Amino acid sequence: MENLISIRDLTVRFYTYEGVVHAIDDLDLDIRQGETLGIVGETGSGKTMTALAILRLIPYPGRIKSGSIAFFDRDLHSEIELLKLSEDKMRSIRGNKISMVFQEPGAALNPVYTIGNQISEVFLLHQRPELGKRAKEQVDRLLRDGDGLAAGMKRPFWRWQRRLYNKIAQESNPLEPRFLSHLPLFRRLLWRLNHESELLTVDMLKDVEIPDAARVAIHYPHELSGGMKQRAVIAMALACSPELLIADEPTTSLDVTIQAQMLELFRRIKVEKGASILFITHNLGVASEVCDRVAVMYAGSLCEVASVEELFLHPSHPYTRALLDAVPMPGKELQTIPGLLADPLNPPSGCRFHPRCPNAKPVCQQEKAKLKEIGKDHMVACHLF
Amino acid sequence: MELRSYIFRRLLLLIPVLFGVTVFIFGITMLFSPTQRATLYITSPQQMRDLATIIARYGLDRPFWSQYATWIGQVLTGNLGWSNVVSMPVWNAIWHYLPATLELAIVAAPLIILTGIFLGSKAAAHKDRPLDHGTRVIAIVGWSLPTFWLGLILLMIFYGYFRGFLPPGRLSTQMEVVVTSADFIRYTRMNTIDAILNLNGPVLLDALRHIILPVITLSVVNVAFIMRLMRSSMLESLGKGYILTARAKGLSERVVVNKHARRNALIPVITISGYLFAALANGVVITETIFSYKGIGWWAWQSAIRLDIASVLGFALFNAVLFVVVNLVVDVLYTRVDPRVRLGGTVQ
Amino acid sequence: MIRQLVKNPLSLAGIIILLIFVVIAIFAPLIAPTPDGHLNPYMIPHEGYSPIPQPPSEEHIFGTTEGQYDIFYGVIWGTRSAFQVGLVVIGIVVVIGIILGSLAGYFGGIIDEVIMRITDIFLAFPTLILAMAIVSVLGPSLKSVMIALAVVSWPSYARLIRGDILQVREEDYIEASRGIGASSSRVIIRHALPNAIYPTLVMASLDIGAIVLSAAALSFLGLGAPEGYADWGQLTSFARNWIVGPYGEPLKYWYAVTIPGLFILFFVLGWNLLGDAFRDILDPRLARR
Repeated sequence: MENLISIRDLTVRFYTYEGVVHAIDDLDLDIRQGETLGIVGETGSGKTMTALAILRLIPYPGRIKSGSIAFFDRDLHSEIELLKLSEDKMRSIRGNKISMVFQEPGAALNPVYTIGNQISEVFLLHQRPELGKRAKEQVDRLLRDGDGLAAGMKRPFWRWQRRLYNKIAQESNPLEPRFLSHLPLFRRLLWRLNHESELLTVDMLKDVEIPDAARVAIHYPHELSGGMKQRAVIAMALACSPELLIADEPTTSLDVTIQAQMLELFRRIKVEKGASILFITHNLGVASEVCDRVAVMYAGSLCEVASVEELFLHPSHPYTRALLDAVPMPGKELQTIPGLLADPLNPPSGCRFHPRCPNAKPVCQQEKAKLKEIGKDHMVACHLF
Repeated sequence: MELRSYIFRRLLLLIPVLFGVTVFIFGITMLFSPTQRATLYITSPQQMRDLATIIARYGLDRPFWSQYATWIGQVLTGNLGWSNVVSMPVWNAIWHYLPATLELAIVAAPLIILTGIFLGSKAAAHKDRPLDHGTRVIAIVGWSLPTFWLGLILLMIFYGYFRGFLPPGRLSTQMEVVVTSADFIRYTRMNTIDAILNLNGPVLLDALRHIILPVITLSVVNVAFIMRLMRSSMLESLGKGYILTARAKGLSERVVVNKHARRNALIPVITISGYLFAALANGVVITETIFSYKGIGWWAWQSAIRLDIASVLGFALFNAVLFVVVNLVVDVLYTRVDPRVRLGGTVQ
Repeated sequence: MIRQLVKNPLSLAGIIILLIFVVIAIFAPLIAPTPDGHLNPYMIPHEGYSPIPQPPSEEHIFGTTEGQYDIFYGVIWGTRSAFQVGLVVIGIVVVIGIILGSLAGYFGGIIDEVIMRITDIFLAFPTLILAMAIVSVLGPSLKSVMIALAVVSWPSYARLIRGDILQVREEDYIEASRGIGASSSRVIIRHALPNAIYPTLVMASLDIGAIVLSAAALSFLGLGAPEGYADWGQLTSFARNWIVGPYGEPLKYWYAVTIPGLFILFFVLGWNLLGDAFRDILDPRLARR
C-alpha cells in the first residue's frame, strides 16, 4: 500500500526580525494508511510545524523553503504533490481530506458563534452539492404534495419563482447567485439546506460522545467545559471523514481524567473511521497509549522512528533514550538532559543534539546523520549506527 | 427575562451617579451670588425685575441642602431656569435647538462609523503594505487636526474660494422663507428630513449644501479614531486561534476575515460608540459655532461667552444625563453582540 | 528603547517636530524679541487698532490679524503657552491620577467604590462641555482653562492606574513581596507603580496633544486666553471674520487662519506621533517577530 503521506527533504524557515529560524531541516517522514503515527518532542522540535506544513498553513514570516509532501488521495487513487497545489485545491483538501485538531480547544473555537454553526460550516463548505441535492429533493417533494409553500403569495409571483426554480434546479449549486435566497421559495431551499447540515452536525456530536447533542449544538463555546469543547473540535475535524486527522497535543490542556476519555475516543476513531492519525505530543506515555508508530524529533530534525514496541523496548538514538530516562519513576532519581535546547536562530552544526549527547563523536559535529534502518520497522538518524 | 433585570439593575445604579452629577452641577452654581443664581429659577423676563422676591421664594440664602432640594425639585418638573441669551426658558431652548444638532448627528454618525470600520478593516487586511501606512498617516494627521481650524479652512475653500458653493448656516435666506411659510410642514424641524417629507427638492438640496461641511468637520477626527481602533482590533482578532482553525477547515480567506475575524473585531468598536457620542457632543459645540449652525452647540457657546449660567449648566446637565443613558444602551447592546457577556452558566 | 524610537520613521518625525518646538519655545525672546517698554511678553504687540489683517511683509513676517497683532510674534510665544498648558495640565492630572488610582486599586473596598463613583460623575460629561462650564464659572483666562482641563481629565488617569494596579495586584511577585514582609505602601511604590507607569506614559503623551487641542478650542471660542494673548487658539479666533476676503480675492487673508492653525496641527502631530510610537513599542502583542 502506498503511504498516505510522504514527506521528503522538508525544510521550513522563519524569516524574522532577529534572524532566520530553522524550524524544520531536511525532514523525511512517512505516514502510512490506517496508522496512528505519533510525533514526540520538546517545544520547538518542529512537531507542530510539520503538521502545519502538511496543511500549508505555516504562518508568516515562515516559509516552506524546500521539500515535497506527497499525499495519496484515496478517491482519486493517485498521489498529489501538496506543495505544488493551487490554493483553491488546497482549500478543498483542508478540513475535508486532511483536517486538524489544535491544542487549546477554547482558543480554537470562535466565541461569537454557536458550536453547531461552526461544525455546520464544514459540511456546508465541503459537502454542499450533496446537501443541496438532498434539500432540493425535499423541496421538490413539498412542491409535488401540497402547495403550502405558495401560501399568501400572488399567483404570478409564485409561478415565476417556480419557473426560475426549475431552470436553476439543474445546477449543482442552486443557491448562486446569492440574492435569490431572498425569494420565499429559495429561502425555503436554503432553510432545508441548513437543516440538512444541522442534522449531520448533531450526528457528528453524538459520534464524539457528547451527551444531549442537539442542545449542545445551540450553545456557545464558553458555555461548555474543556472536555466538551475538545470533543466538539474533534467533531469539526472528523465531519467530512478525512483520510488524515492531525491532532496537535489534543490532550495536553485537559484534566487527566478527561485525557483518558479523550484517548479512548481516539482509539475508537482509529478503529471505526479507518483514518490515519498524526498524533503530536510531548508526553511519551500518551504516545504509547494511542500510537502504532512513533517518531522522535529534536530541533527540527528527525532522530528516530519506529513501531511503539520497538521504540520503547529498544530505544536507540541517544535523545530517545534520554527522554525515556527522564520520565519520573518512584524510587528512581530524577534524570535530566544536560545542556540547553538548541538555539533555533543558531543551531549547532552537524547533528543538532551533539552538544548534549553523552555519546558524541567528532563526526557528529561535522555532519548530520542520515536515517538508517537498524531493525524491523526501526530507523535512526545517528552516527552511532 | 435576564435582560430586563439587568437593565433594571443598571438603571438603579444610574441614580446615585445622576445624583452625584446634579450635586456637582449645583455645587458649581453655589459659587455664584444669589442674584446671579436667580436666573436658574425664573421663567420669564418680567421676573428678572423682582429679584428679591425670587431670592426669598426659592430660599437662595438658605443652606446648601435645602437649596439643592428646591432646585432639584423644580428641575424634575422641567424648569431649568431662564436663558438670557435667547430669551426663553432653558428647557425650551434645548428643545428648540436640538433638532438641528440631531440632524448633524444623524448624518454624521453612520458616516463616521461605517467609514471608520471599512478603512480600519482594509488597513488590517493589508498590514504593513502601502495602504496600511497610508491610512495610518491619514489617521494620525486627522487625529491631530484642530476641529475648528479644519472648519475654517473648509469654509475658506468651499465658501470663499468656490464663491458660496457650500455656505455656513442651516439654510439660505430664500429657503428659510420657504421653510417657515404655511405651505411647508415642519414635522421634525430637521430640514433635510422635513424636505423629504414635504417632497420639496430645492429645500432638500439647500439643506444638504449647508450640512455637508459641518458633517465633514465633525467626522474627520472621529473617523481617524475609529479607523485606528478597528485596525488594531482586527489585527488582534486575526491573531487568535480560531482564525487558524477556520483556515484549517478550508474556508476562503474572504470568509475567514469577514465572518470570523470581523465579528469579533467589532466588539470593542461597539463599546467605544458610547464615547463617540461624547466626541460628537464636544465637536458639535465647535462646529456649530464656526458654521453658525444654530443647534444646541451654538446655543451653549453663546451662553458660555455671555456667562449665562443657567444655560451653560442646563446644557451640561442635559448632556450628562444623555451620555449616561447612551452608555447604558451601549452596554446592553454589548451583551447582545458578545455571547460571552450574557448571563449564563456552563453546560457539563 | 530610544533606539527603537529613532528607527521608526514616524516617531522620528515626531521627535524632530517636538525638538523644533522646544527650541522655538526656549529661544522665543531671541526669535521674536519683545519690543522695549512692553510689559507682558505674552501679550502680542500691536501697532494701532485697525481691524483689517495685513499680509506678510518685512516688518511682520507672517502678517497681522485683526487688531494689528503680529502673527509671527504670536505663534512663537504661543509655543511657550502651548507647552505651559500641556505640561502643567498633564503633570497635575498624572499626579492626581496616580494618587487616587493607587489608593483605589490597592485598597479596594469602600475607598475604591467612592473614588470610582466620583470618576463616574466626572466622566458623565463630555469633556469640552464640562470644561466650558467650569471656565465660564471661573471667568475666562488661561489659568481657568488649565484648571478646567485638569478637572476634566484626571478621572481617566485615575481609572487607568487603578486598572493597572488591580492587574498587578494579582501577580505573584506582589504576593512574594508581602510574604517577605514588605509594607503595603512599599509594595505599591516599588512594585505596582513602575509596571503601571508604562501605559500611563503612552496615554499621557497621546493626551498632551488632545489637551492642547482642547485648550486651543476653548481659547478660540473666547473662553480661554484673553484677547491679544500669545495663544494659538486665541490667534485663530481673530481670523473668524476674515476667512473670506473681498470679491475677486477670496483667499486674501489666508495667513490669519492658516498659520496659527498649522502650528497647532504640527505641535499636536508631534505628540501624537511620539505617543503612537510609544504604544507600538510598549505593547508586546504588536511587536514584530
